[in-house]
Amino acid sequence: MLNTFQQHFHDALPSATPDEAARQEFAKSLKQFVQQGILPGLGPVYKARATARFERETGRAPADRHDIRKAMTPDPYFQHYAAVNRISQELLWDSVIDSIDRDADAVDAQAKAGSAKNKGELRIPADFEVPRYVSALDIHCMPGGYNGRGADTDGVRLGALYDRGVYLYSMGYTGPDNDDMGRSVCNYIKRKLGGWTPKRILDMGCTVGHSTLPYKELFPDAEIWGIDVAAPQIRYAHGRAGAFGLDVNFAQMNAEQTAFEDGYFDLIVSHIMLHETSGKAMPKVFAECHRLLAPGGYMIHADLPPFDLMDPFTQFILDNETYYNNEPFWGAMRDLDQVKLATDAGFPPETIRFDTAPMAVMEFAAQQASGYSQEAADAVADREFTAGEFAPGGGWEVLIAQKAAA
Amino acid sequence: MTETMNRNAKGKRPHFYETPALDQMMSMIMVLASEVSVLADHVDSIERVAATNGLDLRAGIAALVLDQTALETREARRQAMLDRMFYLMRKEAAEAAAAETGEGYSSVIAEIAVG
Repeated sequence: MLNTFQQHFHDALPSATPDEAARQEFAKSLKQFVQQGILPGLGPVYKARATARFERETGRAPADRHDIRKAMTPDPYFQHYAAVNRISQELLWDSVIDSIDRDADAVDAQAKAGSAKNKGELRIPADFEVPRYVSALDIHCMPGGYNGRGADTDGVRLGALYDRGVYLYSMGYTGPDNDDMGRSVCNYIKRKLGGWTPKRILDMGCTVGHSTLPYKELFPDAEIWGIDVAAPQIRYAHGRAGAFGLDVNFAQMNAEQTAFEDGYFDLIVSHIMLHETSGKAMPKVFAECHRLLAPGGYMIHADLPPFDLMDPFTQFILDNETYYNNEPFWGAMRDLDQVKLATDAGFPPETIRFDTAPMAVMEFAAQQASGYSQEAADAVADREFTAGEFAPGGGWEVLIAQKAAA
Repeated sequence: MTETMNRNAKGKRPHFYETPALDQMMSMIMVLASEVSVLADHVDSIERVAATNGLDLRAGIAALVLDQTALETREARRQAMLDRMFYLMRKEAAEAAAAETGEGYSSVIAEIAVG
């Protein structure tokens, strides 16, 4: 099966004309082709000719991912790979902007209508400062970035752009609601934490709430907060939750220093947030998690596995995001000792570990949930996987730590 | 609120090729590929919509036998398209035939400038 999960068209999502949809579909197809048709050739090209050239020129073999980058960047095969990968990313955002620009008033109105249905709070402070690690570059080349510039910061359109764009970026692999990371961590909690049911949950760096909403679905009695530094994402998230019929609180806050009181939450999660912070911010985020957790509470971050678990060539492939996709902290974050950071933040070392949360798409397909099919789930989970592709079939890497009991 | 969204991502775009123009060429080729794909999807849609309305265009197309007029028309359109596509080669051959050179061009500029 080639074209697996189709995005669920909830009421807040921008509509697309047939030609806009076809352009979006092409950007997604191009991404899939780059990953499955071109990416696997990089290994053989590196072995067959790039190493030899590097050795000829330097008199030694490439030692680490930085040497491998020097060896590969002059190679025409790598140049085509990297160029087309970048172009696919640019076409992807452009194809969604077409839809939003054509129907901007409807996009605004839809989000507003969703927000009216969401009984959760929407908190946007007047004097919020977006941290430089988010504002310095437009992360993953999304024009305007998460928060936008000038008037773009006022509305919801960058949230709408992210919602549709991320579906295309992930090629549907995270399910019809782009929420497989959240679902997978929920499942992990249900299975691995001995029937524990969290009562107050904080999702840090939630953007439009893709991964936030499964917590409301799977822990319906819990009070849930999604926070993010970008106002357009938060506004859209609130409307999107309403469109799903869920009451979830959203606030523009910085995970380094939130406005919640000590010990307010018993579960704090994040999904692909840490790699978009910074070397200075990440220790503060861990310290803030420790402060916000009640005794015995859990912190779970689903993000990228550290580089020390991988060979240098795989590191090089993954590090392309740092150089070519406006992800400045992507490589450096993987070099950090996250276990030490969690220990320094106050978590007892024996509670800190990396683990894998199996992808939930398989389970929902087995239950024949709406928008899921077994065939699509199998196609995502069982495909030939090359490092550098989006989403390994097996599961998501999580860092987990538990605050000491009182 | 701005009228239209920003389309330029902040952050210096890397060059992937030694010749920067090639980066632009590749992006144009990919955009053209996208437009071809859009058209192919559209033709597919036309056939499917027609089929749901009882008109089997796909079978009709498969069974279509082109008469000589149609063959001529199509051939002319294909040749014209190729002519447009290879206009620079046509120009190059014409220059060779007329012995036009860069030096010749420069000398014309110099000659015309003389008061």
